[in-house]
Amino acid sequence: MSPLDSIPEKLGTTDPWVDKGGVHWLALDAAKVRELAKAMNEIHARFITITAYQLPKEEGFRLEYHWDLDGRLLGFSFQITGKSIESIFDLTEAADWIEREIHEEYSLDFVGREYEPLLLRQGETSGVNLRDVVAASSKEKI
Amino acid sequence: MSYKIPMGPYHPGLEEPYKLDMICEGETVLDAKLHIGFNFRGIEHLAETRNHIQVIALMERVCGICSFIHTLTLCRAMEGVAGVTAPPRAQYIRVIMAELERLHSHVLWAGIAAKLMGFKTMFMACFEIREKIMDILAAISGNRVNYSMNRIGGVNRDITDPASILKMVEALEGEMARTVIPIFTTSRTARSRCAGIGVLTKEQAVSLGVVGPVARASGLPQDLRKDAPYAAYAELDFDVPVQPDGDVRARLLVRALEIMESCKILRQALAKLPPGEFNTGEEKFNFITGTSTARVEAPRGEVMYSVSWKEGSRNPARVHVRTPTYVVMPAIRWMVKGARLADTPLIQASIDPCYSCTDR
Repeated sequence: MSPLDSIPEKLGTTDPWVDKGGVHWLALDAAKVRELAKAMNEIHARFITITAYQLPKEEGFRLEYHWDLDGRLLGFSFQITGKSIESIFDLTEAADWIEREIHEEYSLDFVGREYEPLLLRQGETSGVNLRDVVAASSKEKI
Repeated sequence: MSYKIPMGPYHPGLEEPYKLDMICEGETVLDAKLHIGFNFRGIEHLAETRNHIQVIALMERVCGICSFIHTLTLCRAMEGVAGVTAPPRAQYIRVIMAELERLHSHVLWAGIAAKLMGFKTMFMACFEIREKIMDILAAISGNRVNYSMNRIGGVNRDITDPASILKMVEALEGEMARTVIPIFTTSRTARSRCAGIGVLTKEQAVSLGVVGPVARASGLPQDLRKDAPYAAYAELDFDVPVQPDGDVRARLLVRALEIMESCKILRQALAKLPPGEFNTGEEKFNFITGTSTARVEAPRGEVMYSVSWKEGSRNPARVHVRTPTYVVMPAIRWMVKGARLADTPLIQASIDPCYSCTDR
């Protein structure tokens, strides 16, 4: 069994990989994010990044985690209805900065870690949704 | 007794702002903390307010050195959601531009590294060579920095006289083989300032997920041009230089060897440039709802763009950029630990950082 084929079994899913938009996608529950990080470490996949999407109205957020496995781009999409997900920083050192960035830009909490300011400067508030702040200040100007 | 030395945000060796707080004992660095964000411009958010033409001009300005690479990656991702494929000639022109950009980036870095080593004659020699590369880029695109070459479905300008560019590339290759490469690989100054300095072990490189020449200098043979070929790279023959030592000298050697490999790629691409259209000619696109992701091997390593679109929308719903320096910079903390304070500017420069890219 190839490392790629072993992943669904390791994560207890029967869903197949779906090749779409240049990425091999696997649907997973957000509760499995740490299991996923461990499984990726086991097959020596390289962590690339997390992309955050703010969904309309009260739908929450979608987080897409990406790893590289021998040139193949793997993607795992998690829908978050609340405002938190478990951190993988202790398992995947490379996820440190992007977790801090998403916390600063979207006010999402990565549970189990502490934050230091990354992109924001001294005096600015960390952990607020910058998009909401920008939208509110634009309305005030109008 | 330990004490803290802040370096930056106005950096002694590099032109962009970032800060490194170093805890030192005597002249030895015990630990360091990095501070970025001085160039944070909210470009990803701005991208959501631009249409499919404007967003290319915007993302070209993420980085002043690898501006072509940023639009190439963005356009490849947008081609994914528009269902468009660039014609073969455009794929070759994209390779030629990307390799010229790698050359000018690596030679620029070599010049700055030489200056930091106290080798100012070499700095001048590198910048003279770099000017010639920029002349070629200007001859092709009409611009020296932001080339405006990429569009959805190809490129905006053709290469009408590949033979003349080939001559310029051969002359450049000769100069680099005569001066830059031998001096960097054999000079005593370069060796004494770089060997055994700022080591990033293979294990640390894997843990941090570093990319590009920094990864290859720590023994990791990763390069998207080979691992996940795009444009016309699958049709071209070249090697991926890898060095095992993980020090500043290894990073220098990897880039020096990559300069020669880029010339090899350029010679092949210019000779094999296929006939035909250099773009699809389409002006309007039917973007489908969804996300498309593209990756490209920039001079500093892997760049990734995720572009999300909603059908019928003028603007992208989301553009996320993961730049190479963003993942390589945290490695500086490990590279400077145990180093002499005087070596730290060169160690920081050895990753060829781009803070504009990092902060976006």
